[in-house]
Amino acid sequence: MGTEPIVKNRDFNDRQIKRIFLRRMGIVLWVSFFTAAVESMVFFALFDPAYLGQLSSLAVDITRWQGYALGFVFFWAFTFSAALFAGVVMALPRTRLAKRNPHS
Amino acid sequence: MTDQETKPIELSLYKAHEKIYPREIKGRFQYKRKLAVLVLLGLFYILPWISWEGQQAILFDLPHRRFHIFGLTLWPQDFIFLALMLIIAAFSLFFFTALAGRLWCGFACPQTVWTEVFIWMEQLTEGNRNKRMKLDKAPWSTEKVLRKTSKQFLWITFALWTGFTFVGFFTPIKELAAHVWSWQLGPWETFWLFFYSLATYGNAGFLREQVCLYMCPYARFQSAMFDKETLIISYDGQRGEPRMRGKKRREAEAPGDCIDCTLCVQVCPTGIDIRDGLQYECIGCAACIDACDEVMEKSGMPKGLIKYTTENALNGKPTHIIRPRTLVYFTILMLLVSSFGIALLSRSSIDMNVIHDRNSFYRVVNAQTIENVYTLKVMNKGKTTTGYKLSATGLEGLEVLLGMNETEIVAEPGQLVEVPIKIRAAKAVANKKIHTIEVTVTALDETGDAASETVKYFGYNK
Repeated sequence: MGTEPIVKNRDFNDRQIKRIFLRRMGIVLWVSFFTAAVESMVFFALFDPAYLGQLSSLAVDITRWQGYALGFVFFWAFTFSAALFAGVVMALPRTRLAKRNPHS
Repeated sequence: MTDQETKPIELSLYKAHEKIYPREIKGRFQYKRKLAVLVLLGLFYILPWISWEGQQAILFDLPHRRFHIFGLTLWPQDFIFLALMLIIAAFSLFFFTALAGRLWCGFACPQTVWTEVFIWMEQLTEGNRNKRMKLDKAPWSTEKVLRKTSKQFLWITFALWTGFTFVGFFTPIKELAAHVWSWQLGPWETFWLFFYSLATYGNAGFLREQVCLYMCPYARFQSAMFDKETLIISYDGQRGEPRMRGKKRREAEAPGDCIDCTLCVQVCPTGIDIRDGLQYECIGCAACIDACDEVMEKSGMPKGLIKYTTENALNGKPTHIIRPRTLVYFTILMLLVSSFGIALLSRSSIDMNVIHDRNSFYRVVNAQTIENVYTLKVMNKGKTTTGYKLSATGLEGLEVLLGMNETEIVAEPGQLVEVPIKIRAAKAVANKKIHTIEVTVTALDETGDAASETVKYFGYNK
């Protein structure tokens, strides 16, 4: 049901469409945050950010805390884009295809 | 609103959230839940203040990349323990879910536990369920402002304290307290303190059951562990129906035991009616059992119209605690726990690695002797600075020498020392192409811990 095309004024009113959008964004944010947190934990258990800073081509001098934070932001950016992508393609395009496959 | 025009399923998915006012209730299960809240939150708030051997007993020291857990120090090289512990936690969850349903959700999940405390503070300031509903509907008055502000004050204070304690697990809590006291928090401490406070406030104050309904991954897959012999909270429809109350009940010939008082609905923290059957929203808190038992007692009927039971028991079939599903989960769990225990007990305070020199197979020292050169890495996973001695076995008369500049191997706690080593052997002994030898590193302290690794030894080949 959730993948049916959203046509304003026919299936949902403005308020509901806003809620659908917010709900999707909420899911994208939450799922990406959660996976990014797990990824950072595993990654930084294996690699020391202070050491990685010296290895990188930028040769930046970063403290561990900055490394952890930077790593987490990177992970979150990646997982966020992946989740956003999934969120966008979850809804079928508003074409006849969606009408033919209301449950797919 | 055009809610009437939309289909029912879409209505339930997208309608605005309605606030749930759970009614307060006493009873044997609620007593156990309160006990769980006290124990779990007690542990959370008190543990970081406990010292062990002169330092904080539990400290996840991320800046120095080490975890202190009651005298045990874990380094990043011990990641396997953390991974094992998480897998054990997951399998315990599976095991207990198969056995008794959502025990975790109802009694131990931080979301439930903190929500309980926040609801308790809400009751303290805004009164019971009816008063709270009335207060929210009433126009703003001095009393409403007072009650709402005192609730917010309690919530915010508690949330800040929670954030502070949380940060205290990662940075020494006594220093942190001093920093807070003198208003000298570092940027990270400040960020995490407020971030976690906000998370506590938002999750336990506002989101509450919505976290369980929409955000929790476990809630989505827990039903996979259920079968007909899993303990669930269930309403005995055969006994309860037809439900009726008041005049209708008095005049009916054979009314069911349910007097339709709706207390079970009012006490539910997720706002469902358990009489509709097992639902995804049910977190297994057993509040409805306590409510119904009380009502049944007052009405002079036997307790247990709503009770912990199994689908099989409801259908008059026997229930087995020991069954393939629980046996499999239990066996895997026990294997994991015992391997964790063995690994932890046999954990060496030394981590080592020996790599053969890439440039030459061997070097001729003199007419009788050759040597192989290696790079040795030793990590001290112990708690004191330690010296190490080297030995090698596998060939007769092996002699281990340190590289040019080193005279000894000493490592501070957590330090990784890298030294070139030379291992000498007589040409007459090391005369085949490749031998296998074992290099052993032994700690020169009272523990006498040792670690060893097998490496290739290239023999004299002319």
